[in-house]
Amino acid sequence: MAHRWGMVVDLDRCTGCEACVTACHAENNIPTVGAAEAARGRAMHWIRVERYWEGEFPEARLTFRPVLCQQCDNAPCEAVCPTYASHQTDEGLNAQVYNRCIGTRYCANACMYNVRFFNFFHPQWEKPLQLQLNPDVSLREAGVMEKCTFCVQRIKAAKSEARAEERELVDGALQPACAQACPAGALVFGDLNDPESRVARLSESPRGSKLLEEYGAEPKITYLQRQGWHEPDAQ
Amino acid sequence: MNRTRNNPLADDLVRPLFHTSVWFYGAVLVLATVVLAGAAAWGYQLWYGIGVAGINWPVFWGFYLTNFVFWIGISHAGTLISAILRLVNARWRRPVTRCAEVITVFALMIGAMFPIIHLGRPWLAFWLAPYPSAREIWPNFRSPLVWDFFAINTYLTGSLMFLLLPMIPDFALVRDRSTGWRRRIYGALALGWQGTTKQWHRLESGMQIMAIAIIPVAVSVHTIVSFDFSMATVPMWHSTIFGPYFVAGAIFSGIAALIVAMAALRKLLHLEAYLHPVHFENLGKLLLLMSLLWAYFVFAERLTVWYGNEHSEMAVFWATQRGEYAPLYWAMVVCNFVIPFPILALRQLRTIAGTVVASFAVLIGMWLERFLIIVPSLAHKPLPYTWGDYAPQPVEIIIMVATFAAMILLYMLFSKFVPIISIWEMKVGNQPHPPVVTEAEDELAGLWRARP
Amino acid sequence: MKAVYALYTDPDAAQLAVDALRAEGVAERDIVVMSSEPFEEYEFSHRDKATWLHWIAGGGGLLGMFAGYLLTSTTQQLWPLVTSGMPIVSTWPNTIIVFEMTMLGAILATVIALFVTASLPSRLSQLYDNAVTQGYILVGVDGPSDELAARLDRALASVEGGQVKSIA
Repeated sequence: MAHRWGMVVDLDRCTGCEACVTACHAENNIPTVGAAEAARGRAMHWIRVERYWEGEFPEARLTFRPVLCQQCDNAPCEAVCPTYASHQTDEGLNAQVYNRCIGTRYCANACMYNVRFFNFFHPQWEKPLQLQLNPDVSLREAGVMEKCTFCVQRIKAAKSEARAEERELVDGALQPACAQACPAGALVFGDLNDPESRVARLSESPRGSKLLEEYGAEPKITYLQRQGWHEPDAQ
Repeated sequence: MNRTRNNPLADDLVRPLFHTSVWFYGAVLVLATVVLAGAAAWGYQLWYGIGVAGINWPVFWGFYLTNFVFWIGISHAGTLISAILRLVNARWRRPVTRCAEVITVFALMIGAMFPIIHLGRPWLAFWLAPYPSAREIWPNFRSPLVWDFFAINTYLTGSLMFLLLPMIPDFALVRDRSTGWRRRIYGALALGWQGTTKQWHRLESGMQIMAIAIIPVAVSVHTIVSFDFSMATVPMWHSTIFGPYFVAGAIFSGIAALIVAMAALRKLLHLEAYLHPVHFENLGKLLLLMSLLWAYFVFAERLTVWYGNEHSEMAVFWATQRGEYAPLYWAMVVCNFVIPFPILALRQLRTIAGTVVASFAVLIGMWLERFLIIVPSLAHKPLPYTWGDYAPQPVEIIIMVATFAAMILLYMLFSKFVPIISIWEMKVGNQPHPPVVTEAEDELAGLWRARP
Repeated sequence: MKAVYALYTDPDAAQLAVDALRAEGVAERDIVVMSSEPFEEYEFSHRDKATWLHWIAGGGGLLGMFAGYLLTSTTQQLWPLVTSGMPIVSTWPNTIIVFEMTMLGAILATVIALFVTASLPSRLSQLYDNAVTQGYILVGVDGPSDELAARLDRALASVEGGQVKSIA
């Protein structure tokens, strides 16, 4: 049976440390654009940690929500692309083919999660940062769209390794950079088609819900809501 | 009765082709400079990357797409209006049709450039065309941008033919009146037109078919432009009203552009004998109707959103109603309704000057409308963390100004090489009608006589 | 090649001239009338009115519709890529392409048929006179025999207000 990659994000565990963001940048050769460009809204973070305040000061509470591409089944970004640069793979990944992209940026507008990023300029790395580029991930030129791939290069590598060793993939052994880097274990990645996988079991959790579920895009990322949190003296 | 008395008419209308004032050259020089500045700005953007424009995450579409929708809207001035007037056989159309159809062709060419300018990799724009390639991949026909490609190509082909076909007899007239290189060029353009009865019949039935065919195409073009927005589930984009709303807005701004162009032609080419106050009066009434229709659509759209009270849509709603986009929003309402409505509703104000003032207001208002549809929605998508804003950069402003200059320049050059009023159609209008038709002759008939 | 023609300023005179040519036994298709405007109200302009142009336009539209259908449905199956969970052959969006291709087919068929049936582009015939675009109506016959030419000359001259010309 084909794989169907998915993820569970446990909001109760997320501390907002942004290790996932850093790991993603390193793994996927995502350029940093500098403070001035970032202030103009040109920063590219395939995964970001959204920060929201709940309540009024001094009762305010800080909450975090990591948001990455939701790998929707009915992804609104795909059909609007005139060149099929954005399409669905048979493993349920929402793929972006850089070479086909002509830069209409329509996909980014159609995506209600705003998880697609555009190369406004040619990417640059200050020396010696170019030495840490990941050879398994292609660089993107100016004018193309890019987005979270669920670290497709790791998926490919793990699959060929398993094939060479004539075994099945082991649940949990294959992880995208963000999940691997998360110290709190808030991000769980795996095959939704394997009913025994952690991700499949967790996504059935009663705490689970989808982000902007009402749009009907059928995302493959499940968010586990924070559980009721009580001050000790309130008990 | 001497039919050759029509010659003063031809003299008047052909004169601009043979006599050019020094002012004309001066204006061409100035406009061409502005157009070149726009080309240089685009070159700069191509060299450094689209990042030199103000677009950002999350407002990925800005001035370029605003101008795209605006110019495609302007293109609804000509062919659509001309085709409707032809089909209902409105006699007052005769001096109006060609100067309207030219607007369509040039506005479409300019408008269709913007989606290419705005691409991240514009040199690959041809990938939208369906052709068998080594990449073995065809365009995605589910994408509204591919619909745009097909619709605009059909509309441009149709409008170009609609404009060119009735020009052939006039090219023949210029051919017979000129010598030397002019005769050779216009002779080639006239394609050997002789005015045989067969040629006239074919031309007339061809134009009739074209008029019927071009109306649904024009409606489809702006509907599809609206689909670029309404197909995406972006707050205040995803609305079924967008098709007719955009078509009405397009005709609205198109008529305004036509009135401005006609007033300029009348003044600069001394066509007072052909473009009468009654033309501006009639087009003014049409503009009034469209202004009311526009107000109706805006009200229906806003009321539906407000009543639905859906939180992500309300974010866009309040941003335009009393937030950071409110000044632009209310300027739009003033330009599209508050100014033109009284001017066009009162007969005393519906003069040439009055309609031109109203038209300028409408052009500004409709440009703002396009901007306000695109930018506030993108800046307020459902996740508040991703809200953003947009400020145009010099390169976008220069290119925009350059396209306005290009429109004026192309229009001026056209009126220099082609009689801007269809001479043969004016002659038909001049004909005294045989007794059977005389009874139906309406009060306007006197207007079609070029000379008293 | 000989040709005889006359120039009239008045469409009524042109009508009389056409009638005179008919009276001389000239076949309808040999009578040439050229003018700088259509003169729809006059009988002489009603020649050649029958046309297949509407049917040709309809045929072009059908052809375009068929081409649009083939283009969309076959190319979608050539390399079936899934987008947004839509079917590979997505009828609703394809309808838009089919519509535009239909209209394009109708427009192109009309224009091509118009050019072919109106014999455009072509060289000017020897009958053509620059006076036509000055508002004169030309009535004539291209290539009559010598004997007929003389009779036609007289017939055309019999109508008042015309200038009869002939090309040897």
